[in-house]
Amino acid sequence: MATTREVGPPGWARLCRSDEIGEAQSRGFDPDHEGQDSLFIVRWQGDLHGWRNACPHIDGAPMAWRRDAYLNAEGTRIVCHAHGAEFMPDTGLCVQGPCRGERLSRIALAVVDGELFVKS
Amino acid sequence: MKIVGLESLVFGVDDVNGASRFLVDYGLAPVAVSDRGGRFEAIDGTAVVIAQQDDPALPPAPVPGCRLRKTVMGVADEATLGAIAAELRRDREVRRLPDGAIESIDDSGFVIGFQLTARRPFVLPGELSNAPGGVVFRPINSLGVPPPGSVIRPRSLSHVVYFVPDVMKAEAFYVNRLGFRCTDRFTGTGPFLQPGGSLDHHTHFLIGAPPHMHGVEHFTFHFGGPSEMITNGYRFVEKGYQAFWGPGRHILGSNWFWYFNSPFGCHIEMDADMDQHDASWQPREATASADNSQAFLLKMRSKWYPGPGIPENGDYA
Ligand code: FES
Repeated sequence: MATTREVGPPGWARLCRSDEIGEAQSRGFDPDHEGQDSLFIVRWQGDLHGWRNACPHIDGAPMAWRRDAYLNAEGTRIVCHAHGAEFMPDTGLCVQGPCRGERLSRIALAVVDGELFVKS
Repeated sequence: MKIVGLESLVFGVDDVNGASRFLVDYGLAPVAVSDRGGRFEAIDGTAVVIAQQDDPALPPAPVPGCRLRKTVMGVADEATLGAIAAELRRDREVRRLPDGAIESIDDSGFVIGFQLTARRPFVLPGELSNAPGGVVFRPINSLGVPPPGSVIRPRSLSHVVYFVPDVMKAEAFYVNRLGFRCTDRFTGTGPFLQPGGSLDHHTHFLIGAPPHMHGVEHFTFHFGGPSEMITNGYRFVEKGYQAFWGPGRHILGSNWFWYFNSPFGCHIEMDADMDQHDASWQPREATASADNSQAFLLKMRSKWYPGPGIPENGDYA
């Protein structure tokens, strides 16, 4: 049986078609089948950014309040819905809240033929 | 002072519709809800109230970024309301609202309100266990597990947990000015506080934290028992909500817990079966390590026996 890991460049796991994530939208993924999304993708000003679903405030704390809900209502900030920390979607810098000045951990992404891959 | 507990928590949110759905999925009943906000009630009428964060009618947040705008406590009688107003007027403004409630601010900057309690009395069986040798049992042929599709509703607003920059000052306000009692304490962290008109282990828990953390850690409602709480939490997870910690059982307070992220910039808990204490209780003190705050944590396994959909080598090795 094929798994996502067997599709695409070696060492990269396919997540979805890159155009499935629209501007100012976010989506979580669980490529290692841990039972909880370990990373999430946001599209911000046209570009896709991948971040570990782990708030720097309490390392490893999951951030969405609902599956795929990582952004504020305006889509302008990533929010940790544990204690309200706000992060820039493109740099991962915390600009408000308990871990101000700290950063999210970036995940390397690749788009090949319109398919989005994450380094595994 | 006969403060009986929390009556409502008021939040300003950026996505009223998302927050409304969240609270309904949690189990609260919407009352007069619109795109601008509304009220979400437990069985006894205690509630979460939400409004658009830019709604000019909302009181100010203690610090920017905190979405809790007001904590409303219920009191038993007019005499208590008058006594609180007189006490707080000694050093701060107390506003009398058109409905007779009063509003002021605590020593940490949280807006607090007091009203005659509007909790609706109700009678519903709590969870009973068929413990051999016990004296109280579930009725014969009544089931311990909430049936699929059954409606599970929170019964009462339980407690709120504040991050405060000066925990001793914050505690002194609730104890010396409002008649709360410390029931237990996490050393170097803060006290669990019980108001004079309640037997619950705590309605408030204060956590000393640096100023940039000032705000709310979580709030929660009581459910009818651990089976209700865990079943409701499991359904919540299946709807896509993000669990943070639990399910498990605390040591101080004994309450079952399950914490979730929320659109309120803080955690929301589901709890059940909290200890009750009276004035004869001697407060305990413990270190706030994880080992001291959870008696156990549970983990769900979706498939545990061989059969369709299970890998050949089994899923329970
Ligand atoms: S864990 Fe993210 S803000 Fe606290």
